[in-house]
This record gives sequence, structure tokens and C-alpha cells, in this order.
Amino acid sequence: MAETPKYQNRIELLQGTLDMLVLQALVREPMHGYAIAQAIRSRSGEVLQVETGSLYPALHRLERQKWVKSEWKLTESKQRGKYYQLTDLGKQQLATDHQRWLQLVCAIGAVMAPEVQP
Amino acid sequence: MSWRWDRAKESLGEELEFHLKMAIAERVARGEDPAQARVDVLREFGNLPLIVDVTRERRGWLWLENLLHDTRHACRPLRRAPAFTATALLTLAFGIGANLGVFQLLYSVILADLPVVHPDELVSVHAAHSPFDQGWAVSYPAYQRLRASSSDAPLLARASSGEAELELPDHTMTKPKCELVSDNYFSVLGVLPAAGRLFIEADARQTQGEWPAVLRFDFARDTFGSTERAIGQHMLLNGRSFIVVGVAQRRFLGVVTGYAPDIWLPLALQSTGRFDTGFDSLGPGHDVTLSKPWYNQPTIFWLDLIARVPPARRAALVARWDRVFRPDRELMTEATADPVVKSTLLRATTELVPLNRSHGGMRKRFSGPLTLLMALSASIFLVGCLNLANLQLARLQARSHELGVRMALGASRGRLLRQIVLEDVLIALVGCALAFILGRMACSILIRWASSHHSRLTLDLHPSPLVAVLGIGLMLLSLLFFSILPGIVFMRTTAAQLAGSRAKVTGVSQTATQRWRSNVLLATQVSLSLLLSTMSACFAATLVHWETIDVGMDREHVLSVHVDMQQYRYAGENREVLPELFRRIQVRLQALPGVRSAAVEMCGGIHCWWNTALYVHGRSDLTNGQVHGQEDHVGPDFFATTGIPILRGRDFSAADTDTTQRVAIISRTYARQLFGDADPIGQWVGYEPAPHDQKFQIVGEVADARLNGSERDAPPMVFMSIDQNPAPAHSIQVRAVGDPGQLSNSVRQALHEVDPALPIDEIVPISNELNGDLGTEKLLARLAGVYASLTLLLVAIGFYGVMSSRAARRKNEFGIRLALGATRRHIQMLIVGQTARILLAGILPGTILSILAMRSASHFLFGSVSANSAAIFAACLVLALAGAVATFIPARRAAYADPLESLRSD
Repeated sequence: MAETPKYQNRIELLQGTLDMLVLQALVREPMHGYAIAQAIRSRSGEVLQVETGSLYPALHRLERQKWVKSEWKLTESKQRGKYYQLTDLGKQQLATDHQRWLQLVCAIGAVMAPEVQP
Repeated sequence: MSWRWDRAKESLGEELEFHLKMAIAERVARGEDPAQARVDVLREFGNLPLIVDVTRERRGWLWLENLLHDTRHACRPLRRAPAFTATALLTLAFGIGANLGVFQLLYSVILADLPVVHPDELVSVHAAHSPFDQGWAVSYPAYQRLRASSSDAPLLARASSGEAELELPDHTMTKPKCELVSDNYFSVLGVLPAAGRLFIEADARQTQGEWPAVLRFDFARDTFGSTERAIGQHMLLNGRSFIVVGVAQRRFLGVVTGYAPDIWLPLALQSTGRFDTGFDSLGPGHDVTLSKPWYNQPTIFWLDLIARVPPARRAALVARWDRVFRPDRELMTEATADPVVKSTLLRATTELVPLNRSHGGMRKRFSGPLTLLMALSASIFLVGCLNLANLQLARLQARSHELGVRMALGASRGRLLRQIVLEDVLIALVGCALAFILGRMACSILIRWASSHHSRLTLDLHPSPLVAVLGIGLMLLSLLFFSILPGIVFMRTTAAQLAGSRAKVTGVSQTATQRWRSNVLLATQVSLSLLLSTMSACFAATLVHWETIDVGMDREHVLSVHVDMQQYRYAGENREVLPELFRRIQVRLQALPGVRSAAVEMCGGIHCWWNTALYVHGRSDLTNGQVHGQEDHVGPDFFATTGIPILRGRDFSAADTDTTQRVAIISRTYARQLFGDADPIGQWVGYEPAPHDQKFQIVGEVADARLNGSERDAPPMVFMSIDQNPAPAHSIQVRAVGDPGQLSNSVRQALHEVDPALPIDEIVPISNELNGDLGTEKLLARLAGVYASLTLLLVAIGFYGVMSSRAARRKNEFGIRLALGATRRHIQMLIVGQTARILLAGILPGTILSILAMRSASHFLFGSVSANSAAIFAACLVLALAGAVATFIPARRAAYADPLESLRSD
């Protein structure tokens, strides 16, 4: 847990990336919030911890932008959970975000490369 | 709306709850202790409500939700403080409502245009001053020629016809107002029918069978149930049969502001002789025969003209009309022997006056008083706002503990201010809605007050956007005054100091600035209230002055019977029976117990204005100003009956008959006008200059009397004998021994016995008749009276509120003072002294304001500023009394509180 709960600041910092991660997590199947957090954590090899305080605001924001839609469903353990599903708009957005991310990684890599070589 | 917010909030809570459960379940599955797992998960989770808040903010609309929440929150204190809420609501309702009512009237009378297309193109045609009335009426032949000469500028003619006797198919009788109009009246104005059709050219030529009539919308609806049902109805008007052909559009009330005809009739009806219209003429002996049709007499002037001309074409049209009208001008010069008047008349040119500025008797009469009332209404609004501001400050002061704690807990200053203002927005909105209703009611009451016995006002009170703008503007202004400004002032000064200091939170003491502020507010209210009270006293004094002024008659004991002999059997050729009828009436009435004397009179009240001219035999140097006066034909004993003293000579007698020398009696003013200080008795006069100036011999001189109404100067009068110059009587004066009102039934009965067919319009004491035109004076006096009492009430509430909250705060101090030996009287004087200082501080500027106001309103006031200074003194006394009474209760409460109790309570 961070020292000060200034969620808003953190969301702003992570915003682009977190949205992309959430959208990517939903590519294969609809999931509820907890599963999304778990998916991101396990796929990143426990490196990326998505905090609840960032996750839900992000999910609701994505929903307002119509990139995901939500639905209350029963889980395998017969509990009511809110499942999020990627929309067509969301798929396009994911593609764009992914493209931009790759460009960013390339660009940062290119900037970093000369410094590393002697 | 709010259930959606609640559901969204609930759903989010459930989602997070589910998240928690899943996380706990996973930890338990990994082998953790369930209780420990829950604690861990919750720690990991962080601040749950904050997450909820942030998430909801992401969804947007949080501000709206907050607003709704604040609104709900705002209702609570309002319900808890019903006294404040009620005071505020009533103050706003009256303060804004008064302004709206007066403004609606001002708008309808002065600002509103006719509800037709391009009202700016309509002009009144002022061709020439008519010889006696100095009005703008022209003859029918002149109208025909003017109309024929200007095919490009349609010209209409109209003549007010007063009231007519209307008999409906079911035999109910009413007295609607009629107007005779030319066939193109509605088409030139551009008025549309609400049902049926309006007049067409063929209506002008109708001479037999049923006459067409067009009704006013409201009249048609009130009489026949609906406008559609009115079409095709048959009715009798003054004994002639009519058929309703149409109803004019709803908002069209005629062209004269305030005077709304109920029925429009074709001009040609004049020739039936059954419809009285106002007229002027060249005078007797100039080929004028009133009893014959007027349409071919160029010497009778009775038509007002209105044309539709775009501004660009007016100059050319005036030139053309001047040429066409030249013969009429030359004819008009025959009415006078005054060379100056003759040449002025010939040199004058036709004027085209925009319609909304002419026909302005009503406008001219009311624009001053209404502007004044608007100013008074604005000051009552101001007093209301100041009063509320003061109450608001006291209220915030009382809430400072709560507000301070909320600020300490982290409520933002903006949000607190918003909540305070929101509470008042609710009050302002409801108050404003009440004000609109009240304004509407006030407007009809004002119209009733302004209407006099003789001029019932009918106005188009169609709600206009301007009125709505004013209402909303005043609401916002009031909000600023009584909520936003006090809120900001309070937040800036008090709340900041409270936040940290426990000592101050518990025993908030009022700082010197705060006291000073509320004192200034109170003193300002006192000044404005003094202003309103003074004006009210002045207006009341003016009204009383006119109502009690010496009119030169016995205004206490005379009963006026208004009869309508113009109709039916007495008109036209039956005139020779009149003297005998009058004699019978007089004898019968004088035989009644309680009647001293009775007399018939041609004029029917103060609006007779029978203008005339008298030329003196042997004098050719008299100007128009000297020869013009008013004429009345009266029966024997008229002067004894009305109480007008005979100064010289004699009254008419039974010996003055058709076969003897014609005689006349003139009033003091007329005598002075014609003869200076010389004795008028025995002089010879006539309606025309030599050689026709020997028709009458003056046999008497009477004192002046205000026959045109108590507020108008006594006119120069000449009285002729009604037996020698038979004319239908319009009134019968009856002098009673006691209260004239009690005689009306027996008089009615007696007249019925003399002639069952004699139509009696009404029977009123002559004082009512004489005060009949005091419309604006009544309006000013009554409304100013209402305003003055309202502000007095507000000032009293203000003093009570402020002084009792101060007394409550100083309870400890008073306790100590009492314990140290101060007397109760001393404590009372402490509080009363404060009130006295505030009153004094308010009265000084208030007096200056009042004097300035009296100067600027001197036009509507009788008497000078110094004569009215008694009003200021009286107003001061009343104010001081109101302040003292309002302060007395809290002062007494403070003085008689148990000192021990006061000290122990904190």
C-alpha cells in the first residue's frame, strides 16, 4: 500500500497503460474485476499489481467511453459478479493503444541504446 | 432522478463487496485463517468509501448528485426554522409581487403596443382643433373627402358612443360600452376575427333590417358562453335589432388605452338618433341640427381619425390632406369672432401622431403616478431584502457552531457557501412563484382602485416577457442581497476564526463589526420605511383634501338620479312634453318625506363638458378665452337644491316659459370673464357675435361650483332654463334633510309612479359623483398605505429579531450586571437605548429622503413641502412606536430573567 492514498494522481500516471492492460485482459473472455486484477498479476509474473483503487475507477471510465460493457452474471461458485466484456470500439482502441505502446517501447529503446554501449 | 444515483451507488458497493469476497476466498483456499484473511484483504484494499467516490467521479455527474444531496440537506433547516422560512417567503412574495403588479400595469398602460401587425405604422390624424372642445374630431363629410383622397393610406373613423341598453334574447338587460366605427376599422388596424367576420364595406350601407355588431372577445364569452356561440345571436340595442356577425381577436381591446368597448357598431347607426356620441359643432345658429342625421352636416365634428401610413410617406400625405381639409378649416373659423384664433386655425397643418402616443388621456394621467409607484415598490423590495439580510446574518451567527465544526471536519468553504445559498434558492424560487401569483392579483386590485365610478378601466393584462424578466431579475437580486452577500461576509469573517478555536465555538460573541453591520442594515430600513410612511401620509392627506374640499355645493345632502331620457319617447319631436314631465317629477319628489327640494338638470354628472360661447351685446373685443365657458340647462329650484348660492339677481321661476324672454344665470367666474367687475344683471348675451348677441338676458349670478369634479377648478358656467330650452334631462337632483342615501328607494318608487317607462341608470349621493374622477389619487393613497404598513411590519420584525438575538447573547452579561446591583429598568434601558440610537440614525437620512421625494412628487400632492412636514413627523412617531413595541418584548424578557439561572446555564 502506498503511503498516501492519492488514487487520482496514480491513475493519471498509469492511465494509458492501465487501460491497455485491462482491455488486453478482456480479449479472450468476459471477466469480473477481481479476475482482471489476477490475470494481469499472473501474466506479468507477479510484477504488476493492479490496486483496487485504480482498477474500478478505470473500469467505470472504460465503460463510460463504451470500450467495455458490463453485465451481472453468476460465477461458477453461484455468486453474483459483474462481468466486463470488450466491445468493438474497445477492440479498436486496444489495437491503437498497442500500436502506440510498441512505438513508445521502440523509441525509448532507441534512446537508451547508445548510453548502454561503451 | 435520485433513485438512479442510489442504485448506481448500491451496484458499485456490491461489485466491490464481491471483489473482497473473491480475494478472501482465495487467501482462505491458500490456507490462511479466514479472519486474518479478511483483515489483510481490507488493508490491501485501502479506503473503501474513497474508492467508491473516485470511481463514481470517473463516471461523471458527481457534481449533480452532490447538488441533489445538498438540496435535500437544504430542506431540513428550512423545515426546522418555519418562522424564518415563512417571513422570507412572505417578504419575497410581497416585495417582488408588488413590483410585478405595478410593472404589469405600467406595461399595459404605457409600454404595450396594440396587438396588431406593425403598430408603428398607425397614426392619429390631428387635422384641426375643434372650436369648443379643442379635440381632434372632424365631420363625416370631411372624413369622406380625406378618405377618398388617399387610397394609399387607409383611413378609419371612430366615435365613442358611451353605454347602450342591451337586451338579449332571454330578456336580460345589460349596459355595454359601444363604439361606432367605419367599415374599414378592423381591416386598417389589422385586427383578426376570433370567430365570424369583422365589418366589411357592405355593412356601412345597411339601413334597414338587422344591424351588424362585432363583440369584444371577453364580452362575447361572458355574455354568450363562447365566441362561437355568440355568432348569429340576435339582440336589441337601444331598441334596435342587431345580429352578432363576429368577435374580435382576444387581445384587441380597442384603440384607447383603458377604454375597451364591448360592442363595435357601424357609423351609419348615428342617423337612427338612438346612440349618443360625443361631438363638437360650430354652435347653435350655424346650420347645426343635432336631431337630424350627422353624415351630411359638415358643421358637426364627431369622428376621430386613424390612418395606417409608413413613416416615409407621411410628409406627402400631410400636404395632400391639408389641401383637402382647407374648406373645413375655413368653416371652423366661423365659430369664433377672435381674429387671433381664426388666423391660427387657418395657418395650422395636419399632424400625424403615432397612435401609441395619442389617445393618451389614460397614459398621460397614469404615467406619472405609475412611475412613482414603481419607485415606491422598488423601495419596499429593498426594505424586504435588507430585512432578510439582517435575519440571515443573525441566523448564520446562530449556526456558526455547526458550520465551524463542519469546516473543521474538512467541508470546503465553497461547498458550505453553496449549501447556505441553496437553502435560500429554494426560498427564492418558491417566493418568486408566490410573487407571480400575488402580482397578478395585485394588478387586478390596482385596476379596481384606479378605476373610478366613471371610468372603469379594462386593460390587456397579457403576461409579457418583460414582466417575467423583471420577476426573475428581482429574484436573483434578492438572492444576492439576502443570501450570497451575507454568506460570503459571514464565511470570510466569522467562520475562519471559528475553525480552530474551541473557546469561540462555544460562546460566540458578536464582534463590534457585526453589530455595526446589522445596525446599518436596520437604520437603512428605518430610512426607507420613513420615506414610504411619509409618502403614504401625504397621499392620504391629498385624497382627503379632494374628498372634502369646498365644492361650492352641498355635497352632504344631495342625491343624484341619473336618468336616460335620450332614448325612446322623449327624444326628437316629443320635446314639447318635457316641461310638463319635469314639473310632475319635481312636484312628486318634493312631496316625499325627507326631501327638501328637487330639480332637473340637462347634464348627467361631472363629464358633461357642454362647452359653449357667449357673446355680449355691444362688445366686439372679446377673445375666445373670454367667451368660452360651459353650459347647462336646469329646472326651477336647481340652485336651492344643489346648494349653490345665488349672489345677485334671481333664480328661474315658473314665469319663465317658452313664450317669455329667454333668460340666463351665470357663475361668478364667467361673469368676471365677460364683464370684469361690472354688474352682469340685465346684460344681453347670445351664442353668436352681433347681430345675434341679444338672445338671452342675464337675470342672476351664482357662486362658483366645482361641477366638473372636486379636483378640477370651478368652470365658468352659464345656466339656461330647461323650460325655455327643452332638452332631455340626464339627472334629477334631490336635496334631502338627512342622509341622502336612505332616500334612494323612495325616490326610485316616486319616479316610477310619475312615469313607469322612465329609464333610471343609477342613484348616487352627489359626493360620489363629484369624487368620481379621483382614480389616481385613490390608487396612490391606498397602495402607499399598504406599502407603508408592510414596511412598518418589516421594520418591527427586524428590530424584534435583532434585539432578541442580542439580548439572548448578552444573557450572561445581564446576569452579572443584575448580580452586581443593576436594576431591571437599567437592563431594559440598555436594549431600548440601542433601538433608539438606530431609529435616530435612520430617521435623519429618512427625513432628507422624504423631503426630496415630496419635492419630486409635488405634482401629485396637494399643498407645499412645508405643509406636508407634519406627515414626516407623524411617520417618525409611528416608526418610533413600532420600534419601541418590537424591542419591548426582548427587553422585558432580558430584564426579568433570573440572574442565577442566566449565569448557571452556561
